[in-house]
Amino acid sequence: MSTREIFDGRLEAALLLAPTLLVSVVFLYYPTALAFRTSLFDSGFGRAEEFVGLENYLTLLGSSAYHSSVVISVVFAALVVAGTIAVSLYLTFLIHEVDTGQGWYLISVIWPYALPPAVAALVFLFVFHPTLGVLTGPIEALGLEVDWFNDGPQAFLVVLLVAIWKQIGYNVIFMIAAMKNIPDALTETAELDGVGRLHRLVSVYVPIMTPTLFFLVIINTIYAFFGTFAFVDLLTSGGPANATNVLIFDLYREGFSFFNFGVASTKSVVLFLVVAVLMVIQFRLTEEYSYYGA
Amino acid sequence: MTTITLENLRKEFDDVVAVDGLDLTIRDGEFLVVVGPSGCGKSTTLRLLAGLETATDGEIRMDDRDVTGTEPPERNVAMVFQNYALYPHMTGRRNITFGMNAGGSFTDEEIDRRVAEAAETLDITGLLDRKPQAMSGGERQRVALGRAIVRDPDAFLMDEPLSNLDAKLRIQMRAELTRLHAELGTTTVYVTHDQTEAMTLGERVVVMDDGRIQQVDPPQSLYDFPANRFVAEFIGDPAMNMIDVAVEGGVAVHDAFRIPLPAGNAAGETGSEAESLADPDAGDRPHAVLGIRPEDLHPARERPDLGETEFDATVDVTEPLGDSLLVHCSVGDATFKMSAEPRSSLEPGGTVSVTYDPERLHLFEPETGEAFYHSATAPAPSDRLERVVND
Repeated sequence: MSTREIFDGRLEAALLLAPTLLVSVVFLYYPTALAFRTSLFDSGFGRAEEFVGLENYLTLLGSSAYHSSVVISVVFAALVVAGTIAVSLYLTFLIHEVDTGQGWYLISVIWPYALPPAVAALVFLFVFHPTLGVLTGPIEALGLEVDWFNDGPQAFLVVLLVAIWKQIGYNVIFMIAAMKNIPDALTETAELDGVGRLHRLVSVYVPIMTPTLFFLVIINTIYAFFGTFAFVDLLTSGGPANATNVLIFDLYREGFSFFNFGVASTKSVVLFLVVAVLMVIQFRLTEEYSYYGA
Repeated sequence: MTTITLENLRKEFDDVVAVDGLDLTIRDGEFLVVVGPSGCGKSTTLRLLAGLETATDGEIRMDDRDVTGTEPPERNVAMVFQNYALYPHMTGRRNITFGMNAGGSFTDEEIDRRVAEAAETLDITGLLDRKPQAMSGGERQRVALGRAIVRDPDAFLMDEPLSNLDAKLRIQMRAELTRLHAELGTTTVYVTHDQTEAMTLGERVVVMDDGRIQQVDPPQSLYDFPANRFVAEFIGDPAMNMIDVAVEGGVAVHDAFRIPLPAGNAAGETGSEAESLADPDAGDRPHAVLGIRPEDLHPARERPDLGETEFDATVDVTEPLGDSLLVHCSVGDATFKMSAEPRSSLEPGGTVSVTYDPERLHLFEPETGEAFYHSATAPAPSDRLERVVND
């Protein structure tokens, strides 16, 4: 019996697919289509909708504030992805190498992932608060002034730190699985050859782990663009002086503070396009550089 | 060129003793094979030599240098693994040179020269630009060997390097390893669970069981003069027959037969070399284990030259092996295997008259399993046998 004949008829197959299709259509495809439609209208609270064509897009094209938000988002995403991968990789390597208490180290690295983003943001708020923060004193003792409520780059750094910290656990779970899959004999060969630890990580482990690492780059990119809203909202509200005004927060404000649904929808379509283009590029690179072992 | 000495070497993993007090000297330039069943400690011993495991107790010396506590790279040994352990993302050439580059003690020209030499020796020049994925098992193992030899190490450590190859390739690689060793003359320690490999490759063979050395000898001595039951049964395929007997007046006595024992060799403590001749008449024993290899038992009509001592046995099963017929027999409460001519007309259920090669008898202590008697080097079998039978 071929796999095509599992179901008696098309009806049965359709019925089994229906729940998934229903959820996808109602919560994914319909809102996407609606957002695209709304982006072509001048739409707001208590106003009648008016078709404006591509005017919203032209507005964004000419808005320097929006341009800076795009740049901030892309830089932020790049730093989140690079920082998360680098820190997670090194932590994973340390955990992989340690002989005793591996489980405990693993738990201590993974638990931030289990924290709701809002709670994580609050934790960091109290850790780095310019006047009350637990670490503020020690940092200022080093001669640095903690003033991220007013200092844009500092605020950007704090949001970046939370975003990376929160995502490490997720990355480590995948990386430790990939690293444990590397045959011990490779490690031992490298040891016998006198290959240093970091050299081994970079030249032996990382190339073999590339499929996992590329998967994580993609997941982390999506996370950086969409999953970091709570940190910005709770820590900086996009400020100071729009230094942390990433696209996802910018469009939220446009829609739900200024009630410009049309422009907000346009911004969400642009964000979608930005991420989609990045995904395509990343998949291309994955095909080219990823090593899928024998 | 290095002599490796192990002294009271011991390795424990938690409460498991993997290696239990090894004393062994691996001679300069020797091809030494360590053989034993799974879990006997042979691989652990090799890893201790490589420095991949830390000894719980004892000492490892290379020439006069104590290396017990030194790190793997400082020992200057090269290891070849069962699964080849090639870096999958590197080409053959990069696999071979990666360790040399990392070590930093070779110039680029030196590396190129050595790779070219090794590639020539192993006939892998065509594989240097391929990745392991595009190589067959034999090719991969050859590249792995290349990686080992370019560094010109003091010793090669090989951990079942042929186990992942198919039977034909294994035989071919076996011959190549022998040739390579003759060419390079580097001290080699080779671990395997395959007794055929041990016999064919080793200049000397170490048989291990339960973390201890059972016997160290050249292959033929190991086969002809096993130090104990374990070695006797482990070396040789099909395994040596073991039959409970009593020894009375120089005769092995079983309910169903009596086998006179020619005056032979008493086995030494470790059975290493044939020692003083001993007269089996000297000691009667109510319990002993008689060991005879299947190829030393024959249907009486096939080998009339072996003498007149024969006994009748029942044929249980016959297994045609092509070049011989393996016959499972029983006599009284004992069962044994016997090698017969390939086209013998023996049928299960029938009776066969069995004779044996009197020069190839062994006796073991039933409790300790130690060999206490080998009949080899006895005088010419026929007259000796007649005398005993006439007695």
